[in-house]
Amino acid sequence: MASQLLPLELIDKCVGSKIWVVMKGEKGMLHLLEAIMSVQLTQTLCTEFSGTLMGFDDYVNMVLEDVTEFDYSGNHTKLSKILLNGNNICMARLRLSSECNH
Amino acid sequence: MENGIASQGEGRDPSGFLSEIIGSSVTVKLNSGVVYKGELQSVDGYMNIALEKTEEHVNGVKKRSYGDAFVRGNNVMYISAD
Repeated sequence: MASQLLPLELIDKCVGSKIWVVMKGEKGMLHLLEAIMSVQLTQTLCTEFSGTLMGFDDYVNMVLEDVTEFDYSGNHTKLSKILLNGNNICMARLRLSSECNH
Repeated sequence: MENGIASQGEGRDPSGFLSEIIGSSVTVKLNSGVVYKGELQSVDGYMNIALEKTEEHVNGVKKRSYGDAFVRGNNVMYISAD
């Protein structure tokens, strides 16, 4: 039987690598806009971060370096080094090398 | 377990990063999108934050300034070193 990989071990494997982090959507605004426009907007209303994972803790608060923030209005913001609150993180994954040209 | 602990060092894990940026100028973004820029006085385990010489920015526009400001940790999306 293959040895089990715990969720935090998976994140630990990403330390030093470029990752994508997707935050939880803004529910209140989402429902309002969905009602007005009668469309599904889940994808576009999440803030996302791309950067190099330097470290994290048990709450999955993350230290990221060379960060680009993509907010739901389409703006990009460059940040050198941040501590991202784990409370609102929805999903994180490794960035593919083909995506590393931002 | 090697979670996080293996990567501990200067400014690498969250607590190391926080001790590194205490006293320097930071940007704090809240989940609402409001941004506070100021000198980081202190942070605790809840990410409650005390800032000095604080500027409040809403939609990228400077709205107000405060000498001292306390931000309750549950509202914080990120703390960025400037």
